Amino acid sequence: MGGPGSAAWETVIGLETHVQLRTASKMFCGCSAAFGAPPNTNVCPVCLGLPGALPMANGLALQLAVRAALALGCTVHPRSVFARKNYFYPDLPKGYQISQFEQPLATAGSLSYLSPDRGIATATIQRLHVEEDAGKSLHDRFPKQTAIDLNRCGVPLIEIVTGPDLRSPQEARAYLLTLKQVLEYAAVSDCDMEKGSLRVDANVSVRRVGQPELGTKTEVKNINSFAYVEKALTVERDRQIALLEAGGRVEPQTLLYDAKTNGVRPQRAKEESHDYRYFPDPDLPPLVLREEFIAEQQALLPELPAKKRERFVEKYALSLTDAAVLTADRGVADYYEAVVHAGADAKAAANWVMTEVLADAKDHADGLRVPAGALANLIGLVRGGTLSHQAAKRVFGEVAEHGGEPRNVAEALGLIQVADTGVVTGWVSEVLVAHPAEVARYKSGETKLLQFFLGQVMKLSRGKADPKLAQRVLEERLPA
Amino acid sequence: MSVTHDEVLKIARLAELDVSEEALPLLAEQMSRILDYVAQINAVPASEGVKPFVPGPDALRFRADEVRPILLAFGPETLAPAFKDGFFLVPKLGAFEVVDS
Amino acid sequence: MSDPSEALASAKAAADRLVKAKRLNACLTPTAPLRKSLLTQAQAAHPSGVLYGMPVAVKDNICTLEFTTTCGSKILEAYRSPYEATAVAKLKAAGALIAGKTNCDEFAMGSSTEHSIYGRTLHPFDKTRVPGGSSGGSAALVAVGAVPAALGSETGGSVRQPASLCGVVGIKPTYGRVSRYGLVAFGSSLDQIGVLGRSVHDAARVLSVISGRDPKDSTCEDRDPLRLPNVPESLQGFVIGIPKEYFPADLDPAVRRACDRAIRLCKELGAAVREVALPHTAYAVPTYYILAPAEASSNLARYDGARYGPRFDGSADVRALYRTTRGEGFGPEVRRRILLGTYVLSSGYYDAYYRKAQQMRALIAQDFRNAFDRGVDLLFTPTTPSPAFKAGEKLDDPVAMYLSDIFTVTANLAGLPAISLPIGRVKGLPLGGQFIGQAFLEDEMLEAAYALERVVPATEEA
Repeated sequence: MGGPGSAAWETVIGLETHVQLRTASKMFCGCSAAFGAPPNTNVCPVCLGLPGALPMANGLALQLAVRAALALGCTVHPRSVFARKNYFYPDLPKGYQISQFEQPLATAGSLSYLSPDRGIATATIQRLHVEEDAGKSLHDRFPKQTAIDLNRCGVPLIEIVTGPDLRSPQEARAYLLTLKQVLEYAAVSDCDMEKGSLRVDANVSVRRVGQPELGTKTEVKNINSFAYVEKALTVERDRQIALLEAGGRVEPQTLLYDAKTNGVRPQRAKEESHDYRYFPDPDLPPLVLREEFIAEQQALLPELPAKKRERFVEKYALSLTDAAVLTADRGVADYYEAVVHAGADAKAAANWVMTEVLADAKDHADGLRVPAGALANLIGLVRGGTLSHQAAKRVFGEVAEHGGEPRNVAEALGLIQVADTGVVTGWVSEVLVAHPAEVARYKSGETKLLQFFLGQVMKLSRGKADPKLAQRVLEERLPA
Repeated sequence: MSVTHDEVLKIARLAELDVSEEALPLLAEQMSRILDYVAQINAVPASEGVKPFVPGPDALRFRADEVRPILLAFGPETLAPAFKDGFFLVPKLGAFEVVDS
Repeated sequence: MSDPSEALASAKAAADRLVKAKRLNACLTPTAPLRKSLLTQAQAAHPSGVLYGMPVAVKDNICTLEFTTTCGSKILEAYRSPYEATAVAKLKAAGALIAGKTNCDEFAMGSSTEHSIYGRTLHPFDKTRVPGGSSGGSAALVAVGAVPAALGSETGGSVRQPASLCGVVGIKPTYGRVSRYGLVAFGSSLDQIGVLGRSVHDAARVLSVISGRDPKDSTCEDRDPLRLPNVPESLQGFVIGIPKEYFPADLDPAVRRACDRAIRLCKELGAAVREVALPHTAYAVPTYYILAPAEASSNLARYDGARYGPRFDGSADVRALYRTTRGEGFGPEVRRRILLGTYVLSSGYYDAYYRKAQQMRALIAQDFRNAFDRGVDLLFTPTTPSPAFKAGEKLDDPVAMYLSDIFTVTANLAGLPAISLPIGRVKGLPLGGQFIGQAFLEDEMLEAAYALERVVPATEEA
């Protein structure tokens, strides 16, 4: 919902997401599927579309596709068929794309996500099918010519199509981020929009609230980041509403999002809508998946984010928000559990991971630099009073950078808190003797000066006094 | 089944084939003849029980995910009518949309 | 043959014979490079190979590293393939010599080898007539003895039909018996590489070598290469079915006589002969002319002048490039079939044509299965409704041309093996009869062919 005169309008969005699968080789040939090679170096007769070449299906790609389908709650069909999608485009060497049409790999799934407007919402996954990627066309490299690089041609893709279930640009973004998370958990793709391993096209329409039929939809393409998803869909929604409110009609067309202008423009002069003339690809027998194969893929799926979140809430007594942060990334979630497993208090561990660990990981490519066991030790030292929280943060930084056992590092840095009552008492006495005026003021009722004395004890002890102990001793020694 | 000139032109556009004005009438006539001829299969009633027949293996074989490219005796630069800096070149898209895929 | 000098002698002799056969316009490879290549190949050939030193010509729609692969088309004029077909690699591994590329109807679409940009191939015995097609070049060369065997390809009968018209043996394997990797695709679910040979033995030997599993072709069955049977003593125990639909009332009487004679000889060899019915035969040609063009329209979409082949320059934009290249690069028959195929796949027509044709195909395949299930081992039929026709005779009427495939397309639709061998002459022109076998039972089919070949008076008038 939202947009000009927004109380009247409902937005309806469906998303088609193309996700590259994490394989070493391409979908139908043994060329490398790696990103970033010099142009036209990962090519062969098959992906060049040379006369006489034929496709050979990549088994791992099919495994990953099934895993993705299962992770999205889909029904995986034991028999599906590859079909040719026929159209002409410079980066499509065969003049057709091998995809799936009437009998796709999977249908009838769903994905729940947190909608900013309506709590937990569910998008239906109408279908998930396997296909090959096209090459890349570069239009600005040479004047008057288009440069074609076929390295990407043939990389395995899954296409995931939702129903018209999303109700706002924000929901679209939330759905996509959740989809990315699930697919990352299932380790089927890098889901990197910058690298193009996750691409999205959107179908957008609006209708008056209460209107049963869907409005005319447009297709929005060329959305290149998660942030642009929200912007592009907002722009298109607003355009449609403005048009309809002015008495116009929405034309079914394909629009391209232009990030520079934050606008959409029609795709130029498509003479007529595509007739893809799908038919089953005679070069590929039907894709038949045994029950055991599907079961194997199910077994290879890890605990998925939603379940893990629930379990964290229950097992570790965390808030939903905290659990969500800790499970956003599978590696972090595993790390957290390892820290708790190594003996750390669950709540303390949660705090440490959400703050220090994630901050450190963000700035360093090698991620989680402090071993789980070490962090557990560190947390223990704080809870046991041996280190102050501040000191522990310093130790964390040291261990992250140079390794080592936290206790040893703390000692080396002279950060071990002194919890010896005698020593602390000595400091307290010194401070009290040095500040008679404040003692007198304390006696006459300014009890908040306790903090001042504590500060002085910490200063005198160069931060080494155990603050809790120091406070206790002060309370004992200060006249009531 | 009469195929009109317009239909021929529409099919020709889908197939990215130039059809000259002179060739059009004969082509339309020949296509009509052929389509009439092949349409006789509709005389046979719908065959519900029979599964589509596809020769060849019953199920797709899978290949291991190994980087083992088929070797080319010579590279794209030799094959291509126009090639520069490692790229195939074609005239710029006019009627197509200019979007980096 | 395993003496290295023998391979060289063979190469030289083959080169000489191919020069002599130039008038046929069957071999597309120019003399000098052909001779040079043959000699080079002879020196490198594997001496222990079963086909060592055997010159085998290859139809120009099969990719070779030697010579160009043009498919008889302007759109692939001067195209050199950077890889070779599996079948060709297997021939070379067996010591054979690739003896040039042969003329064919453009992209294998035709039944007369008149639709090639290199001009028509002449019938080996009557230059006013066609050798058949689309593998006419291969058939003609074998017929005049320039090579003992040649590779061709079948989609609707393009090996057997020219074999029949030229008086040689032509074998179409079971679909999936021979790898299609490197065979330029026309109708992918119908295409197979086949062999033309001067005898059943020559053709079968070559078929055996090129057959067998290939991971590069997902439609190639995971089987060992074909094992050749021995020549049988008799046809005792064989049940040969004669499908009545292949002997219509208006069948050319001479063709009928030739077939009757061949069938009688099979009986004399001990075979039991039985009439069978293949009730959907009449729908085979229309079914074929929906499915094959449909697949072709998609298979030929890659020819656009962008990445290989000649480019017709001066195009303003890429769409113009495609349209000009394809409009000028494809001949009229190919253009017609592409348009037809596009039409029957297009929305609104898919169900009535393509989907329906797939159902028809299933019925046709079922007809064969029923016949074989009732105890028939093989079928025997005429290969072609007539001997070689005159050049130009059928060019104006595509449907008339299509009807020359009437007895051959069924085996392609059903994916079955078939072999045509010469069974007689009609007014001096050769004529073939064919056995159609059960899937992957080429050996039984070859046994029958061996036996018949030994006794049939192939050069006698019917």
